[in-house]
Amino acid sequence: MNAPPLSPGGGGQWALTPSGGARGETGHKSEMLDSLLGLGGLMLLRDSVEWEGRSLLKALIKKCALSGGQVHILGCEVSEEEFREGFDSDINNRLVYRDFFRDPLNWSKTGEALPGGPLGALTAMCKRTDPGPVTIAVDSLSWLLLHLPCTTLCQTLHALSRQDSCPGDSFPVGQVRVLGLLHEELHSPGPVGALSSLAQTEVTLGGTMGQASAHILCRRPRQRPTHQTQWFCILPDFSLDLQEGPPVESQAHPDPHTPPVDPMTHLTFNLHLSKKEREARDNLTLPFQFSSEKQQALLRPGLGQATSHIFYEPDAYDDLDQEDPDDDLDI
Amino acid sequence: MAAAATCGTGAGSTASMASEASKSNVTSFQRRGPRASGTDSGGTRLVSIAGTRPSVRNGQLLVSTGLPALDQLLGRILTVIFFFFTEEDKYNIYSPLLFKYFLAEGIISGHTLLIASAKEDPADILQELPAPLLDDNCKKELDKDVYNHKTPESNVKMKIAWRYQLSPKMEIGPVSPSRFGHYYDASKRIPQELIEASKWHGFFLPEKISSPLKVEPCSLTHGYLKLLQFIQNIIYEEGFDGSNPQKKQKNILRIGIQNLGSPLWGDDVCCTETCDNSHSLTKFLYLLRGLLRTSLSACIITMPTHLIQNKAIIARVTNLSDTVVGLESFIGSERETNPLYKDYHGLIHIRQIPRLNNLICDESDVKDLAFKLKRKLFTIEVREFLCFSLQS
Repeated sequence: MNAPPLSPGGGGQWALTPSGGARGETGHKSEMLDSLLGLGGLMLLRDSVEWEGRSLLKALIKKCALSGGQVHILGCEVSEEEFREGFDSDINNRLVYRDFFRDPLNWSKTGEALPGGPLGALTAMCKRTDPGPVTIAVDSLSWLLLHLPCTTLCQTLHALSRQDSCPGDSFPVGQVRVLGLLHEELHSPGPVGALSSLAQTEVTLGGTMGQASAHILCRRPRQRPTHQTQWFCILPDFSLDLQEGPPVESQAHPDPHTPPVDPMTHLTFNLHLSKKEREARDNLTLPFQFSSEKQQALLRPGLGQATSHIFYEPDAYDDLDQEDPDDDLDI
Repeated sequence: MAAAATCGTGAGSTASMASEASKSNVTSFQRRGPRASGTDSGGTRLVSIAGTRPSVRNGQLLVSTGLPALDQLLGRILTVIFFFFTEEDKYNIYSPLLFKYFLAEGIISGHTLLIASAKEDPADILQELPAPLLDDNCKKELDKDVYNHKTPESNVKMKIAWRYQLSPKMEIGPVSPSRFGHYYDASKRIPQELIEASKWHGFFLPEKISSPLKVEPCSLTHGYLKLLQFIQNIIYEEGFDGSNPQKKQKNILRIGIQNLGSPLWGDDVCCTETCDNSHSLTKFLYLLRGLLRTSLSACIITMPTHLIQNKAIIARVTNLSDTVVGLESFIGSERETNPLYKDYHGLIHIRQIPRLNNLICDESDVKDLAFKLKRKLFTIEVREFLCFSLQS
């Protein structure tokens, strides 16, 4: 599942696409998590069958729990025991787990399950009144998308993530974080696009040759979005270890310093002009250019210039009358 | 026939005919209805609304979009009826800017605003409007920008393609001596006192709808229905449709609807290809157009068309609207690093121009347009090509 750590404590490397910022810092394991969590709002973790995202979700949950603040988890896909596995006891005590895996439709009617199902639980979290940072982890959004209409889910998530932007409060924006796990392969591009347009941060998991990578897209309001790719691996205790990417990865990015390919190199005709040729071209008078010499030539036909002749061969039916038909006009 | 929007009196003659009749006394056309004092009676009633100009082509009123460059592109026939904007800007950076220019123009001209959004609070949107550039600063800013931009090559007279030297260039500066359209500084916020002096109504969907759990299977989505009722109420109460004519001076209502069609409005046109309420969006636009045609209002709508799965809906929406402009930004695409596009931030596609009371529309000559957000100004220019453009 997780690749064994190659170099614990090794430096991290940011491999950037051109629209991202340039940061050359190394060696900060928690920096990736900090930057991911710093933005607040909705974070979408898009994973696939090959590169699963639940371990990254748990690493983020662990980070949030350790930094204080409440952590609520909506567990729909795996059982509670399986989800809590790997966390040590003090983290487990901080997590508020709502289980919708065992009895999603509340058939047992024990009264423990929250009314309204997972949507009701999310809506109840919208109306919370206690202060302090809150992290809500949804495992997974795919499960919710399959059971709820997409619009309802989007509206609820939006209500959750904008909850703290009330101007009257003194809390800074970003106090509510929603971490959602989304299995991309299960959905058509419509719901995925709708959710990603709502998200402030999007992490797409991928990788090559056994090494996992996260492509991070951050949308800050009214600023250009930033793209980053980070290679990492997750240790058994759900802490994150940043890694250098595989060596072949650096060639995939276009080097901005290579000169552009000269398109005129392999042509069968000559596009370059030598100096003499350029002078000759400049001295050439183009036929439609109306220079003053041409004007004079036209106005005053010179000696060498023949006036124009008209050669006319009359037909048999032509009436060659040399008289001017307009002579009898009296104007 | 000219739309009822122009003449509140409902007189049979068009505005242009009325002004002609008053100017030249040789015609026998008599204007029905009460004649207001003054020589050009048809003209005064229209010109009296601030921020508008009567069009001589089709007797409609013109308003500015807030971007004089865009006004020019649309052939200056931005009429007071409907104005539609497509938001193809994937990361949603530039289309909110144009949305805000439209609203800021309304505030400067003294029009009433109606802001509807499902994503942001309208009060927050209002706070983020750009500040207008004052006249004396405006010329200095524009001169500075134009000077920086001018390259030596543009001054060389063309030798072979001399006919193209006379091709129309986009003018960046103020186009007419009268102030129709203002320039805005995107880096500064509008002063608070201008906002307080203006009249605006806000529609924020999460506040108007009590619980998001209710999903009603009616033909029009609940959110759209509420919005239509809200707009209709405002138009009726404030007299934009000609009711209560003696009450106050006529004014224009500028409506701005943000992110229409996104799931936050309760519409699943972005989520599935075959959605349950597939006609909800088109019905809403049709009804809205009916509302706008019978009142003095102009509307701007931004729509995330890149999310809409069913392309037929996009075609229908385009047909329902008067003007459609698409924005394509280069962020995140391979064009960002392409040297051809290095001066620009994105492309503008004018997909539709209004054809009101005309058989054909007046298309602009230049079709290849790009935009860039220079430090403070949003400019639209013709894209200048290189002759040999081999992409590596």
